[in-house]
Amino acid sequence: MVVENSCYGGKILTVDLSKKEGKRQKIGDSFALKYLGGDGFGAYFLNKLVPGDADPFGKENVLVMAPGLLTGTVVPTAGKTAFFAKAPLTGGWGEGIMGGRIGFALKQAGYDALIITGMADKPSYLLINDDEVLVKSAEHLWGKSTRETTEEIKKDEGDVVIASIGPAGERKIRYATIDSDERQAGRGGLGAVMGSKNLKAIAIKGSNDIKVADPDKMMKLLDKWYKIMIESPAFNDDGKYGTGEFLEWMNAERGTFPTRNWREGVFDERKEIDPYYWAPRYTIKNKACIQCVKPCGKAFVIKGKYEGALDGVEYETLFALGSNCGNPSIEALAKANELCDLYGMDTISAGGAIGFAMDLYENGILSEKDAAGIDLRFGNGDAVVQMVEKIANRDGLGDLLAEGVKRAAEKIGKGADKYAVHVRGMEPPAYDVRGIKGMGLAFMTSPRGACHLRSGAYALELTGKFWRYEGVDRFSAEGKGQEIADMENFMAVYDTLGVCKFSRGMFLIEGFADILEAAIGKRMGEDELLTIGERINNLKHIFNIKCGWTKEDSKLPPKIRIPIPEGVSKGSFISEKEEKKMLQDYFEARGWDKKGIPKEKTLKKLEIEEFMES
Amino acid sequence: MFVKAIPEKCSGCMECEAVCSMAHWHVVNPMKSGIRIEKKSVTEDIPHLCTHGEDCNFECVDACKFDAMKKENGRVYVDYEKCTGCRLCEKACPIGAVWIFEKKAYKCDLCGGDPMCVKYCSQGALEIVEG
Repeated sequence: MVVENSCYGGKILTVDLSKKEGKRQKIGDSFALKYLGGDGFGAYFLNKLVPGDADPFGKENVLVMAPGLLTGTVVPTAGKTAFFAKAPLTGGWGEGIMGGRIGFALKQAGYDALIITGMADKPSYLLINDDEVLVKSAEHLWGKSTRETTEEIKKDEGDVVIASIGPAGERKIRYATIDSDERQAGRGGLGAVMGSKNLKAIAIKGSNDIKVADPDKMMKLLDKWYKIMIESPAFNDDGKYGTGEFLEWMNAERGTFPTRNWREGVFDERKEIDPYYWAPRYTIKNKACIQCVKPCGKAFVIKGKYEGALDGVEYETLFALGSNCGNPSIEALAKANELCDLYGMDTISAGGAIGFAMDLYENGILSEKDAAGIDLRFGNGDAVVQMVEKIANRDGLGDLLAEGVKRAAEKIGKGADKYAVHVRGMEPPAYDVRGIKGMGLAFMTSPRGACHLRSGAYALELTGKFWRYEGVDRFSAEGKGQEIADMENFMAVYDTLGVCKFSRGMFLIEGFADILEAAIGKRMGEDELLTIGERINNLKHIFNIKCGWTKEDSKLPPKIRIPIPEGVSKGSFISEKEEKKMLQDYFEARGWDKKGIPKEKTLKKLEIEEFMES
Repeated sequence: MFVKAIPEKCSGCMECEAVCSMAHWHVVNPMKSGIRIEKKSVTEDIPHLCTHGEDCNFECVDACKFDAMKKENGRVYVDYEKCTGCRLCEKACPIGAVWIFEKKAYKCDLCGGDPMCVKYCSQGALEIVEG
């Protein structure tokens, strides 16, 4: 009786946009305990529902939204919602996780997952009011920003929680985001999947109680973990400076802050994009994800030329729209960031694409005419802002960059692919893996393409120790297969429970045993949870295999072969031999064969034989 | 005493709502919380809760026709045996700190002197004012 007397909503809601109808099915204990929620439910449903050859923009693609198992409880920092679909950017496994309230609202409406199939015949939004499901016209909202869309729907529907897309999603920009409460499911273009389905927004009003198995125990655990969190150093650092807090350290102490489209690993002009500079000037308060007591988000008031930018800039964005474009201006950066949020576009991929264009421009592959008069040299912050507009409007060069660097390089030709920094089509985040070799492997193995969050191994690699590991050498390619596999299993537990990864040094995995006992009445130890994490990672990989993945796709971009030219990681790079060795070590650690196909005994151990087509 | 909200410090995490409903009703349900956070704009999160006479003249107590809104030692709370959810208190409150959900009124009752929302507000956006 796990599902009934716990924080599960108890049902899955499937909405067919073509037929404008919703269907509900109950979930049983065995399903719930095998996949838990969030990431686990996404891995299950995407595999079950999306054919491998589905067009990401076709009606056979499916969008799944699933709150984490602990989302909607008082567990601090447990408030995440995950979105899944076949990704337009990579053509494979797509997922984006965010801290807006939308999943909390879904759970209050009584559902542990929302599955959206088919395609609406005209712009629409979905309204879920507990048992009531309506597909309503969004023709008046088409073209509006994420923020305007949210405000307009609230005017009509009252106190609802909303997830929306902006014009970027409507225009099927391959890295369009989904926004809820100014938080984004960022990577891979899930907002474009919504756009392709003519789905402008999801609005939810839930009125049910979210229960737990043992409320008294849960309140005691809240007290325990709350104290641990507010006494942690992260509480102060993130509170004052946000995720950009370690920008200076990444530059000066590690030399692994990718700069000018991955030419360098140190950004010399970083002074003003460092939060130690801008936070005291522009931050007005913290902005939290739902249920977070140690917020890293910031509300911002920019002064000067780009006055009006309101949303604080995160670490990855300080790289993407900052150092990666050589942009030293926090004002231009904040404006570009804000435009990305309003148009509904991933800042990492947008910055990756703009830095790529700048590199091509400086190397004569793109001409002044191609750039339509914009001075695309590195360092021009105004050009970054202009290019964000051009991409969002699919204007000129922007139309090309809206496809991501992989496709853009193919279309441009002239050796542009040498400058295209991506793994399986995904522009990477702010970790120069030439000096963090384990992360190089993690970029290759991440099911959604180059990603820091599927493994979170950057912290382990850069400090040398975390959890089970110590003495890890970031310049070595040895022993990385097992490490990354372990870390991916670890992180999948967080995405399944809906807990913020910035709490991973506190809860680790063992901290969840008590919490799960209070939440669902069943203790789950480290081994049990990690097995679920392993199951989920295998399912995502199986989905990629269905979509045509072969091991040749898991490779690092050409720039990774060029040694870092300066700083404390000077001279470091990942050789082809190291790359291949790390990948084979990983396959072995995963119980996959030399081609990266899961062995039968692995599937059997994880009880997922049914998903693998022979 | 009452709980004073400082909106400029509120991060909008809404942990206070979840904790309040858990402490009182053993479930999480923001509509059953005695404090509500209004997400007004990107930069504004506004806590709404009763200040127990600081900002009003106990209009809810006067408005109630069922003797369900009790005032005791400067603390105003709902008597759920008597509350009918008629909305008179909600309409009377000048600061929007009482709301009706499923035919019952919800508002701050100061948790018997140790308000849970204050205890778990990490941003210092909620303060106890004695007196």
